[in-house]
Amino acid sequence: MATTTVVPGDAHDLDAVRARYENVDHAYHEQRDNRLLGILLFLVSDVILFTMFIFAYIYLRNSVPNWPPIVEGGHQLPRFDVNFAAFNSIVLFGSGATMHFAMESWKHLNRPAFFRWLIATIVLGIGFLAGQAYEYSSLAISWAGSTMGATFFTLTGMHGFHVFAGVVFLCILGFQARAGVYTESKYFGLTAGTLYWHFVDVIWVALFFLFYLW
Amino acid sequence: MNATMLPMIERGLALIGALVVGVTTTIQLKNDWKSVGIDNAVTKLLLGLMAFGCVLVLLAVFGVLGG
Repeated sequence: MATTTVVPGDAHDLDAVRARYENVDHAYHEQRDNRLLGILLFLVSDVILFTMFIFAYIYLRNSVPNWPPIVEGGHQLPRFDVNFAAFNSIVLFGSGATMHFAMESWKHLNRPAFFRWLIATIVLGIGFLAGQAYEYSSLAISWAGSTMGATFFTLTGMHGFHVFAGVVFLCILGFQARAGVYTESKYFGLTAGTLYWHFVDVIWVALFFLFYLW
Repeated sequence: MNATMLPMIERGLALIGALVVGVTTTIQLKNDWKSVGIDNAVTKLLLGLMAFGCVLVLLAVFGVLGG
């Protein structure tokens, strides 16, 4: 970053100061763009990861004549409970909306509202995880024994881990925001957190369709 | 609570939630439509997909899909 020496009383003081701050702003935007590229590449790599598992699921599903598959003993496995999944999906989508409100509150310099919406997002995220734990405990299938169970637990478990990581991420962001790490003009961490949380929501849209509606 | 009431409650809550979240997300998407920058573009895409998710939930609640 180029620096400009400002001599007090110099007729060009103002121009020099302006040039200096323009340089600072420029440096900040460059750094921000690099970090934005970083988080977008991370999200793309995660999309590839989920896509591979989803294609494996589609392949396995199409390789058997019946779905849900017929297991040893001749009985067909039951479908997943779409009612509870619909409710739990809305808990997660609701958390996406609250996270968006949190970000908007930060941009409009409304700190109390930001913390309220962020806490709501964290609570809804934990609620989704609790719902998923309840669903796992009430299912008649297990990880082993059928392709249905293996693919379901692998994909939803991987997604659940992402939600858990997101909740931890949001908690850290909340503490950082409270400690004054972010300002009204420099808050890339919050942008990254919002993008990650929306991404986790959208992955669930695909999983909800594939496992419960298809 | 019997076994037939619980699914009804879940569907009712999912219906209300899908309407609230879907409408809210669509309004946010409309408000942010003219914002520029790649982060805003990605946010708009993700909000749109989330609204689509709410539509899927509505279709599931009404038994159009997943029945």
